[in-house]
Amino acid sequence: MKNQLRIPPLLWIAVLAISAPLFAHHGNAAYDTEKSLNVKGTVTGYVWANPHVFVKVDVKDESGSVAHWIVEAQNPVSMMQIGWSKDTFKPGDEVEIDAMPAKNGNPVAFLGSSSPTATRRRIVINGKQFQP
Amino acid sequence: MFKRGLFSAIAVFTGLTLSLSLNAQTAPPKAAGAETKPDPWNSIPPIKPAYAGRKSAPAPIRDISGIWDAAEADGGRQPSGALEHPALIKPRGQGVEGGRPDETGIMRPLPFTPAGLEALKANKPSGPSVRQVPSALANDPVDQCDPIGFPRMELFEIRTIELVQTANQVVYLNQFYGNWRVIWTDGRELPKDPEPRWNGYSVGKWVDDYTFVIETVGLNPRSWLDHAGRPHSEDLRVEERFHRIDHDNMELTVTIIDPKMYTEPWQGLSKFPLHLQPPGFDISELICSPVDMAEYNRQVGSVVATPGDQKK
Repeated sequence: MKNQLRIPPLLWIAVLAISAPLFAHHGNAAYDTEKSLNVKGTVTGYVWANPHVFVKVDVKDESGSVAHWIVEAQNPVSMMQIGWSKDTFKPGDEVEIDAMPAKNGNPVAFLGSSSPTATRRRIVINGKQFQP
Repeated sequence: MFKRGLFSAIAVFTGLTLSLSLNAQTAPPKAAGAETKPDPWNSIPPIKPAYAGRKSAPAPIRDISGIWDAAEADGGRQPSGALEHPALIKPRGQGVEGGRPDETGIMRPLPFTPAGLEALKANKPSGPSVRQVPSALANDPVDQCDPIGFPRMELFEIRTIELVQTANQVVYLNQFYGNWRVIWTDGRELPKDPEPRWNGYSVGKWVDDYTFVIETVGLNPRSWLDHAGRPHSEDLRVEERFHRIDHDNMELTVTIIDPKMYTEPWQGLSKFPLHLQPPGFDISELICSPVDMAEYNRQVGSVVATPGDQKK
């Protein structure tokens, strides 16, 4: 079971030095802040709620097997302040999201800081760069 | 000569009319008289640089009413513990990785009593600080949507607050997790042996025309002081000093007085800047729903906990 939850080969893992301050409600002890990966797939759900908003993404690998990913953001008020809304994602959207991976290899990634002054991570929705 | 001038004028006029009508065809359609008005709901506060160089009228006398925002870049969000004493070795640096048993070596250590240190160690915070643990291992009451309590509502995430002055009260409305407090200004004494409250019992008075001081007691020791798990006892006394500098700016200083836990008083916020918002500013809702929190913990928090670290 555990192996199925490993990062599928289709995900490109780029090692990036992230120097921006990270302000997270729950901290980032569980995430590898030194790495960034690209979650590419189809949105199956979007939870716009406290404490943190998250996007559910089905990621298919070359063999056609599907991994259920979650991309975690911050709370809805913080996300509204940087241009997100309850309608930013909808099921069926094709997305690419850069985020930091969970240390334990499970299919969860985290966007980190929602500070209005922090550098935004790359998000592509249906072929368009997300620019609020 | 006159004729030629007339022809030229007609030509220019025709050309102008044509270009205007072409322009009208290519310009994006606009409703008659429409100007883009900002959305009056869920107002977004400006970020810190927007305040730079703004001129302000003088402060009104004995008036702190209004909607006040703690601009994000001013440090209103304090994930590593109270702004003046973050549980970090270096600012925004060493220490965020957590895993330490206590706060030895932090920048500005707190004067714990032995009982205070013991109480600190019992609290397991999930914020990025020296004692951080993965969220699935934390025992932060706020992670279950227990009330954030006072003064944590000012020492964790102070965002936007509204202050309303009446003849005998100051009503304090705090956006973060939807808290309200009543600060009595009718001259009553604080209670001697209060039934504990999450937000305590508060009285306030003007110490000069621009400084309003609030004393709060009777605070429930189940709440933490901040996101780094700093404890308090039922004897905690908090002093808030709201000092209005001018019409648009106010400073907040929060002093923690709890001899059971700390050998001397300490400041969680010191002259922390608050910025007045326009009267129509609509504070967006930031409520903790236990059901949503449980769902988040099930789908996200517990999934990223290190294997073997799961709560037994």
